[in-house]
Amino acid sequence: MRLVETGNHVAAWGARLSRVEVVSAYPITPQTQVIEEISRFIDEGEMECEYIPVESEHSAMAAMIGAAAMGVRAFSATSAHGLAYMHELLHWAAAVRLPMVMVNVNRALGPGWNIWCDHQDTMAARDTGWIQLYCADHQEILDTVIQAYRISEDPRVILPVMVCYDAFVMSHTYMQVDIPEQEAVDRFLPPFRSLWKLDLEYPFTHGSVIYPDDYEEVRFSMQQAMDNARRVIAEAAREYRDVVGGYHGELVDAYRMEDAEYALLAMGTVASECRVAVDELRESGYPCGLVRIRSYRPFPVAELRELLAPLRVALVIDRAVSFGLEGPLFSEVKAAVYGNGGPSIHGMVTGLGGRDVPYDLIVDNAVAAFKGKLLPGSHWPAVRLNDHHRLVKRSLEEYWKKEGVR
Amino acid sequence: MVEIRFHSLGGQGAVTLINLLAQAGDLVGKHVQAFPFFGAERRGAPVKSYVRMDDRPIHLRSQIYRPDFLVVMSPTLLEAAVREGTKDGMVVLVNQGKEEDAALKGFPFRTYALDATSIALELGMVVEGMPVLNQVFLGAVSYVTEIIPLEVVNEVIRRNIPPARLEASMEAARRGFTSVREVAVAGRKEGRERTAAS
Repeated sequence: MRLVETGNHVAAWGARLSRVEVVSAYPITPQTQVIEEISRFIDEGEMECEYIPVESEHSAMAAMIGAAAMGVRAFSATSAHGLAYMHELLHWAAAVRLPMVMVNVNRALGPGWNIWCDHQDTMAARDTGWIQLYCADHQEILDTVIQAYRISEDPRVILPVMVCYDAFVMSHTYMQVDIPEQEAVDRFLPPFRSLWKLDLEYPFTHGSVIYPDDYEEVRFSMQQAMDNARRVIAEAAREYRDVVGGYHGELVDAYRMEDAEYALLAMGTVASECRVAVDELRESGYPCGLVRIRSYRPFPVAELRELLAPLRVALVIDRAVSFGLEGPLFSEVKAAVYGNGGPSIHGMVTGLGGRDVPYDLIVDNAVAAFKGKLLPGSHWPAVRLNDHHRLVKRSLEEYWKKEGVR
Repeated sequence: MVEIRFHSLGGQGAVTLINLLAQAGDLVGKHVQAFPFFGAERRGAPVKSYVRMDDRPIHLRSQIYRPDFLVVMSPTLLEAAVREGTKDGMVVLVNQGKEEDAALKGFPFRTYALDATSIALELGMVVEGMPVLNQVFLGAVSYVTEIIPLEVVNEVIRRNIPPARLEASMEAARRGFTSVREVAVAGRKEGRERTAAS
């Protein structure tokens, strides 16, 4: 069945096809449509699922933890401040090793209040122990939510998974999506069998005090689970393609990299826009490719070392910033390929707070990077390009002059 | 690839319009993408919306700065709409009364107009005092862009509109389709001869 739907409704379909048993979420723009659609599915009897209304995102994640600890397949969705509000419990869910899937619609954090897209919210949740997968296409949202349960529940992993997609650019955009047969999804995703669950007959505590003798071991096991997840994510992508159909790459999605001397690296919809930029750059004589990072945690270290080794120049585009350093993806790409020779790597930060990232901006900056004309360090090419910024700057300078500030 | 940018006022129904157009594009075998730019969502405030249709999968995710078609659902938005970006050969469709046509004579784009507000009012398509123009524009956009035949528009209306409003909606689309008039001819190398359809 093919539908023309918003990214949010597509995510709801992903939860429905995954036969989710508990949904606990608190509405926030631009995520609201996800849980509205799930509520409708439940109300119309199309989804057998308990919807737990809660008073906050902190409680939403607490209810998810409770559900998963009872051996139940749980789903939630949030965005920006909602994700920030549940931050404490993100650590909890991951460290107590509970499989679950949550959609995060990537939105900027306030103040100033802004409902539009950037990746600052999920970057701030980077070190919670959650797997993070980023989508660039409506079909990929659906397929990734389903794959995420396979990854999360795999005994080699048992970590929660966050499926991320861009506010409005995907969440509220209508595009086509193929809804697979439930029966095919069932073959790919068997019912959830928990390795342990809370049981009144055999009461025990989980996640209580742990002394320095053992804490590090628990954290090391999470790191090992993340390492295992690399293989599991790739397997899930390939098996999904064979059983259900639909393939969007594994840890990375490489485009025209076979003979590339240059590359763009990005996540989410900017990476989709980069495909168009790559085609343009190729037409202007730059053998350029694209490495779209699908899995940000675990980070695709081996893939990047292999793909970037033969290149001359790479440009990393971040839709977030680590204040006081640079775009986080830029830092991490450099760290991944360190000591392996390879290209000179440039970084740019753009698209914050929903600022549009058109392909010609990418092309212009890519050409500058390829020609060695970008300075090292973080580059913000779209800042103060608007007329009103120039006006404000000029009037400020006049004010300072009058007041003798400068 | 065909790119269409819509300028409307909150409450005129542009978000529904682009959704229905995307469904229509799907029915004629196009890859489609439709999205509004959400700002402060309030009635009467200017809203921009975008539609892309292509024979190949669409990878662009940015807004549309050089549209093939510029659809302006209120005459008050025409100037601002043009300032948002144009391209050679762009075709404009604007909602305005006949008496305003003369002012557009020297307009540098091939321009079509229709009095969508009057049609909507005559058909009683008013919500909280605001004429809802999406069904009328569905027909008009079908006529001007020539991507989606009127029969497909009707099919999309049948699939989406509750039975009580079905007849009025199809009449609105039909009148939108047949009421478009050419008001400026510049901007296109070859003129098109069209008769308002059957």
